[in-house]
Amino acid sequence: MLGLRSSFRSSLQAMKSQSRLISASAVSAKSTYRTPDFGDYIKEKQDADKSRSYAYFMVGSLGLLSSAGAKSTVETFITTMSASADVLAMAKVEVNLAAIPEGKNVVVKWQGKPVFIRHRTQSEIDEANSVEMSALKDPQTDADRVKNPEWLIMLGICTHLGCVPIGESGDFGGWFCPCHGSHYDISGRIRKGPAPLNLEIPEYEFDDQKLIVG
Amino acid sequence: MAFSTIYNVFFKRNSVFVGTVFAASFVFQAAFDSSVTSWYEAHNKGKLWKDVKLKLGESGDDEDDDDE
Repeated sequence: MLGLRSSFRSSLQAMKSQSRLISASAVSAKSTYRTPDFGDYIKEKQDADKSRSYAYFMVGSLGLLSSAGAKSTVETFITTMSASADVLAMAKVEVNLAAIPEGKNVVVKWQGKPVFIRHRTQSEIDEANSVEMSALKDPQTDADRVKNPEWLIMLGICTHLGCVPIGESGDFGGWFCPCHGSHYDISGRIRKGPAPLNLEIPEYEFDDQKLIVG
Repeated sequence: MAFSTIYNVFFKRNSVFVGTVFAASFVFQAAFDSSVTSWYEAHNKGKLWKDVKLKLGESGDDEDDDDE
């Protein structure tokens, strides 16, 4: 160990005496290759920038074409994942709200699922708003579940096992699922029974007298 | 000296070179797309749906409503 250290020190001392640390090869050891004279082959009026620009232009053009091709390939591939026109055509459903009298339920089919639309009366709206949050299994205010309190729009699929609840029945004046006895209130919130969540609210918007679900 | 200007502006810095290539490819795509479309429509004039639709509109309207 001691011998190793002393030899390292002596080699450091030897390096100090040398002038060149980085380039260790002496001039005499460098290449002896003599560059040939290309003079006979070089054009008379050689413009280095012209030929260089030409070469770079060709490289750039190839890059342009291949990047455009790559972009359209990727684009085409991604486009195949988007919904096709026939799917998009079925994605929305329009309902004329003027035909639904107050206090009536209407069930429409949207994307293969039933959607409940209820034109609620003022007393039903008051009833939905008067419920204490602590009494709910899945607490949600009525205002969170409707855009317009007169119209309650929700997916008619029981959140328990996916049966379709029956309207205007059950202990809470709303919906009742006959499969396992889940009771929903007039805002579609679960009040009693095995279902864990309130009836789901789909995306919808009002357009004058029309309702667009989807 | 025009070539040295071109070289200094576009090719000297690789970032500018690549950026120019990508920007030009966007422009190229749009131009290529529209030129191919216009050539195709000129080549197939009278056979396209937009031409046929006008002819159908003169005779019968019932089929016209189906589209869109």
